[in-house]
Amino acid sequence: MPRISNALIRHARSIDKLLPPLLRPCRELRAAQNELRWLREHAAKVASTRNAKVRDTLLRNLVLERAKGKPLQYLLGSEYFGDLQITCRPGVLIPRQETAASVAYLARLVRQAEELPPELRVLDLCTGTGCIPLLFHDELAATRKDVRSRYLGIDISRDAVHLAHYNLQKVWRQKAYADKSVTAFVQADVLIDPFDDQNAGMPCFKAALNHYRQPPFWDILISNPPYISPSGYWSTTTRSVRLFEPELALLPPPNPDASDTERGDVFYPRLLSIAQHVEAKVVLLEVADLDQAHRVARLAQDADFFDGIEVWRDWPDQPNDAEPVELDGFPVIGQGNGRYVLCWRAQGAPWLGKDVVAKAETEPLSHYSLQPTFIYRPPSKIPL
Amino acid sequence: MPPTTLLRLPSLRPASASSVIRNGLPVCLRAFTTTGIGLAKQLPPRRVILDSEIEESFLKGSGPGGQKINKTSSAVQLKHLPTGIVIKCQESRSRSYNRKAARRILGERIEEIELGEQSRTAIKAREKSKKKASAEKKKRRKYKELAEAKAREDVEEDVEGEVEEGAIEHEVQAERLPAEEGSKGG
Ligand SMILES: C[S@@+](CC[C@H](N)C(=O)[O-])C[C@H]1O[C@@H](n2cnc3c(N)ncnc32)[C@H](O)[C@@H]1O
Repeated sequence: MPRISNALIRHARSIDKLLPPLLRPCRELRAAQNELRWLREHAAKVASTRNAKVRDTLLRNLVLERAKGKPLQYLLGSEYFGDLQITCRPGVLIPRQETAASVAYLARLVRQAEELPPELRVLDLCTGTGCIPLLFHDELAATRKDVRSRYLGIDISRDAVHLAHYNLQKVWRQKAYADKSVTAFVQADVLIDPFDDQNAGMPCFKAALNHYRQPPFWDILISNPPYISPSGYWSTTTRSVRLFEPELALLPPPNPDASDTERGDVFYPRLLSIAQHVEAKVVLLEVADLDQAHRVARLAQDADFFDGIEVWRDWPDQPNDAEPVELDGFPVIGQGNGRYVLCWRAQGAPWLGKDVVAKAETEPLSHYSLQPTFIYRPPSKIPL
Repeated sequence: MPPTTLLRLPSLRPASASSVIRNGLPVCLRAFTTTGIGLAKQLPPRRVILDSEIEESFLKGSGPGGQKINKTSSAVQLKHLPTGIVIKCQESRSRSYNRKAARRILGERIEEIELGEQSRTAIKAREKSKKKASAEKKKRRKYKELAEAKAREDVEEDVEGEVEEGAIEHEVQAERLPAEEGSKGG
C-alpha cells in the first residue's frame, strides 16, 4: 500500500484537523471527508445535548477509533443494504455491497416471472444480520403484492440470530409492509450432517426445521457462507476485517485433513446437499473469486441436480466488460470479481427468465455429457 | 408563503397538460420532489434517460471485494454517453440513494443543455427569483430600481443555489457538445 504523503496530510489538516487520522483507514482525502461528514452527523444525532463540548469529544473519540481501523459501520451502528438500513453490531459480519447487488438482482429477476408459487419460500443459510432475506422481501414486495413469501434465515451464532430478529422488526416497522409474508430466524449449524450422530450442542439444519415447524421444501436457497481459506485470510483480507469482524463469519472451521483451498470450500458441498433435500429450484451461493466460483460451479454440476449454472460477478446488472465471458462452459455475467454461483432447475428456469431445458427423455444419452448444455439468454434489462 | 396565484406563469400553462406523466419514468423521483403542486404543473416532464445511454461505475477500486474488505465507499458515477456529461454522487452512505440522486441530477443537466430556458431547473430558478423579486418589491417599493437590479443578480445566484438543493454533491465535468452550443439554448 502506498504511503500517505506528508503533503496530503498537511493539505487534509488545513481543511479539518480531524481529517489526517482518517486518512489512515480511508487512504484518500475524498473518502476521509465523506467519513468525517458521516461521523459528524452521527455525533450530532447521538449527543442529544446541545452542549458542543460533549459532541466534539464524542466526535473526536469516534475519529480515533476509526483511525485504529474499527469499521465505520460498527461506529455508526448500521450499513445500507439496497434500500434497507441494516443495524450492525460488533460480533456479526457487516453486510457487503456486493451481496446486496446480487440478492437484489436475483429478486428483480424473480419478480418479473409471470407465474410464481402461491407461497414463495426463500431459505438463507448463514444469515448474519438477516440482511439477505430482508432485502429479497423488500425487492419482491415492491412490485409483487400478489405474492406471499416466506423466509427462513439460519445462523450458528446467537448474536447473529438476535440481531437478525432485531433487524426484521426494525425494517418491517420502517417500511410498513402490507403483505402477508412470514420471516423467521433460527439458530442451527448447517455443517452438521443430519445423518451423522447428533452433536450434542447445536441442532442441525433439519432438526431446526422440525423444531420450529418450518416447511421441509424451499424454492430458493441463498447463502453467503464463510469462504476464506486460512492463507487468504492472512494475505488478502484487510486489517480492519481481521481485527474487528468475527472470524466465525469468514473462516470455515479447521479440519486437519483439508488443504488450504479445501478448507475455504468446506461449506459448499453441504449447501448443495441441503439444496437437494429442500428441493430448491434456484440456488445462489457467494464465493471469494472466479477460481472459487469455478470450483463451486463444478461441484454443482457434479451434483447432477441442476439444469443450468452460471457465474455472477460483483455487479451482475452491468454488462460484462472483461474476460472471461465464459468459464469452462459456465457463462460469466456482470462486472467485477467473481462473486456468485447461480444454479437453477425445473420451475426455477422461468422464474429467472431462462429457457426451460429440454426434457431428458427426449435427448439421447450421449448429449448428457460432462459439459452442461446451456440455453442462455442474457437477462433482460432491469430498471432501477 | 405568498398565494399560489402569484407563482403561476400563465404563458407556461399549456405545457402542463402533457407534463404529469412522471410515474412511469425510469428515474426515481418521489423522494426528491420538493416543489409544490402549483409549480410542478408548469414544469415540463423530466427527461427520460435510457439505461443504454449511461455508463455507470461505482468507483469500486481494485482488489478483492466481498468478505475480504469492508468498504465504506458508496460513490456512484454516471457518464451520459451521448453528451459526455459525468455526474458523481457520494453524498449518502446508501449507494441506492446515490444512484437515484445521480440519475436525477444527470437528467437535469441534460435537460438544461437540450431545453435551455425551458428546462425544469431554469423554470424553477426563474420562479425562485420571481418570488424573491416580488418580496423585495413589497419591502422597498421606493427603491424600485435598486430592487430590480437585485432581482437580476438573484437569477444568477439562484441557478447555483438550485444545484445545491438537497445537499447533493456532484461534479459536472463540463463537456459540452460543441455543435449543440449555438443552435440550442432557448
Ligand atoms: C459471511 S457471514 C454472512 C452474513 C450475511 N449473510 C451477510 O451476507 O452479510 C457468514 C455467517 O455464517 C455464520 N456461520 C458460520 N458457521 C456456521 C455454521 N456452521 N452454520 C450456520 N451458520 C454459520 C456466521 O455466524 C456468519 O454470520
